Amino acid sequence: MTRTGWLLALGLLSSNPIAAQTTKGDAVTAPSVADYQPQGADERGLWMDVAEAERELKTSNFIVHDPMLKAYVGAVLCRTVGSERCGAARVYLVRTPYFNANMAPNGMMQVWTGLLLRTRNEAQLAAVLGHEFAHFEKRHTLKSFRNIRAKTDAMAWLSFLPYGVGALAQIGIIGGVFANSREMEREADLASIGYLAAAGYAPAQAASIWGQLREEQDATAAERKRGSKKDKNGGFFATHPNSADRVAYLTTEASAAKDASGVTGDAEYRAALAPWWAVLIDDQIKLNDFGATEFLLARLASGSEWTSELLYARGELYRARARPGDLDKAAGFYRESIARGTTLPEARRGLGLALLRGGASDEGRSALVEYLKMKPDAGDRAMIAMLAGGV
Amino acid sequence: MIFRLLAAMALAGPLLLLAAPADAQWGAEGSASKAGFAFPKDGPVRILVFRPDVKVGEQSTGGMNEPNADWTADARRHIAAALDAAQVARANEIKPMPEMEGADGALLADYRALFRAVTNAVVQHKLFAGNRLPTKKVDFNWTLGAGVRRLGEIGGGDYGLFLHTNDSYGSAGRKAAQVVGLLFGAYIPSGVHIGYAGLVDLKTGELVWINADVAMGGDVREAAGATKRVAQLLEDFPGREGAVATKAVGK
Amino acid sequence: MRRAMLPIAAAALAIQSGAALAGWKIMPKAQPVAVAKSAMTVTPASDWNRWSERPSKRGETWTLDGVALNELSFFGGIAQGEAIYRERNKKDEPLPKFSRTMLAPDIVQAVEGSHRILLRTSLFAVDTIEPATLGGHAGVRFTYRYTVQDEEVRRKGEARAAVVGGKLYLITFAAPEIHYFDAGMAAALAIMDSAVIPAGTSVEVTR
Repeated sequence: MTRTGWLLALGLLSSNPIAAQTTKGDAVTAPSVADYQPQGADERGLWMDVAEAERELKTSNFIVHDPMLKAYVGAVLCRTVGSERCGAARVYLVRTPYFNANMAPNGMMQVWTGLLLRTRNEAQLAAVLGHEFAHFEKRHTLKSFRNIRAKTDAMAWLSFLPYGVGALAQIGIIGGVFANSREMEREADLASIGYLAAAGYAPAQAASIWGQLREEQDATAAERKRGSKKDKNGGFFATHPNSADRVAYLTTEASAAKDASGVTGDAEYRAALAPWWAVLIDDQIKLNDFGATEFLLARLASGSEWTSELLYARGELYRARARPGDLDKAAGFYRESIARGTTLPEARRGLGLALLRGGASDEGRSALVEYLKMKPDAGDRAMIAMLAGGV
Repeated sequence: MIFRLLAAMALAGPLLLLAAPADAQWGAEGSASKAGFAFPKDGPVRILVFRPDVKVGEQSTGGMNEPNADWTADARRHIAAALDAAQVARANEIKPMPEMEGADGALLADYRALFRAVTNAVVQHKLFAGNRLPTKKVDFNWTLGAGVRRLGEIGGGDYGLFLHTNDSYGSAGRKAAQVVGLLFGAYIPSGVHIGYAGLVDLKTGELVWINADVAMGGDVREAAGATKRVAQLLEDFPGREGAVATKAVGK
Repeated sequence: MRRAMLPIAAAALAIQSGAALAGWKIMPKAQPVAVAKSAMTVTPASDWNRWSERPSKRGETWTLDGVALNELSFFGGIAQGEAIYRERNKKDEPLPKFSRTMLAPDIVQAVEGSHRILLRTSLFAVDTIEPATLGGHAGVRFTYRYTVQDEEVRRKGEARAAVVGGKLYLITFAAPEIHYFDAGMAAALAIMDSAVIPAGTSVEVTR
């Protein structure tokens, strides 16, 4: 094995060359410019780390490979930030039901499927993508990295926390370390308004997303009889501050934008998501957050109507919770879904199980028989057949 | 969003190995191998090297790792050369597992993930005291399963070598904090130098040798240091049948 | 996103604190033993290792090679309104709770939901659900597969459950799809087949 062979094999001569030279480069050059090279030791180090992470991400079981959905999200990005810039991004769709998107310093962008369930139209998706792209363009990751380093350095001197290797995980939890990030969030927000307006999208949609998230968090809390977390930052789910201030300044900026009108792209968005919708709502229902799911379903129904698919989902939601009264309501939703023409065998399954559990045995059993007729190769055939009375 | 990404990068790398050893085990090293295993006396021994995980950075005063691209690139280069030399010295053929796409790429990813899980299990339950499984105290038998032979066929090798080293060199600030900390009775470890290596028999899937060390020596940013590091990683590496054993196996 | 996420029993346990991982006891073959602090007993046909740490108040976990490679977990006497696993965060990530009125598919859904929430994964699929017995009582057998993000080891699982005296009893076996699930299945199934759950004094719920 030659030396060159080893270097190739170990990825030293890869397609993401990390220049070892010390050219200063233009400090203002944005990473979105073609053939951009990371500048300085910090940035090169971050790119290298992220390049390794991207290698791993590519083979992750959680990557969504649907070419049409990928193409759609990519097209929205390019329309939003401009086709001469969007080439710097490589978009990865990740199957996870939480609201998040991020963009790494080397152009790797992740969009989680939970986000796709919460943006209601193309303009809202564009707002999020534009926001993340702005972080990338302004090299916020690099700035944060330096900030965190400076802060943790200071903390080490001030108090002897028990630093071991595991302490790296605590960086995210240490209070105050991310205070500076609010400036960066604001910068990215303002940039996203600019992108939306320039691309012909309705800029007011940017504020809508955060408003919707706040309402969702209220809904979660109300059902659980707890205080809403909408004004709390930190924690696993609050990946971005969604403060009331933020909604306010986004709204103000949007109305001040040159092209304050613009398209929302509702129909295009629904069409693009249609093949994935059932899977995404199933992931959401299984999070066991009744309030949020009920809220999201109602949102999806408003403006048009309760489609048979939405009604089926609502049936599943109520049947899963099964508090007093829920099973009856669930049966009602399934019936309505069937009446509106759903071809899902699972609607019959859900109806049957809800009725059976609620005590309406005969009706329940015949619904289960229906299910088995429609889906003779169901994985749960043996159990459902037994519940149906041994067909 | 950004910050979770940063935290994720800071933690990147498999690592129950990082989490498991308690303070008391800093400086611990262990290795184990299948009883009586040796390479065949004659004939070629073809070893496929799976892309090593190599990370070198600097540990800031606050304990945060700053990845350093130049150091890591140097380390990769030096480790490759040292590995090459070490295996050539043993008369083994060594070559990298090729990068693959599609179904083969997915298979490779699956086996890499499984290898990490198996290695974590061996490190937790065999190599270091405190967490050993009673049914596995005597023998050393862990496997990736016979299906791994497909990778051997693709790459043209009889054995697979996995390697991981993670170094975070204590900066001057970190070292200074360490001194001050000791004055106050607080333990502030400076620097992280963790490594492990494992050898899989690709025909049977058996893990025939593993070595792990949470306090490795050798500065991998330099050729001599990398040679020393590789020597440590390959401690007790199996020899040829009939060759004089220099160290005990299966300790 | 942490690497090397632990399988579900370990995840439920790790949530508690940095509790010591140490503590294994051999479960010798051919010796009947009560599991999960319940009335359920099993008799392993070969030696297993039992973890001193528990996935829940009413659970226990055994392994052969390490919990990430084969995980056999027992749950016994789970009562109305209780979660099967130890909750990561009762308030913000509540797990599904057992209910006496649950049909077999509802029990399966509760196990699925618990995995999805505790392991934070949306790659979980139930393959089959069929009638079976556990401990001498009518119950359910189900098979599934799942993957944990960042760990990326694809796993298969098989479980049996029954409701006896209004309480849930459950045995799950999960292992990597490559090699370990097939290799450990026979021993795990033998243990499930050996289970005995004495009938409670209250009315037995057979569904």
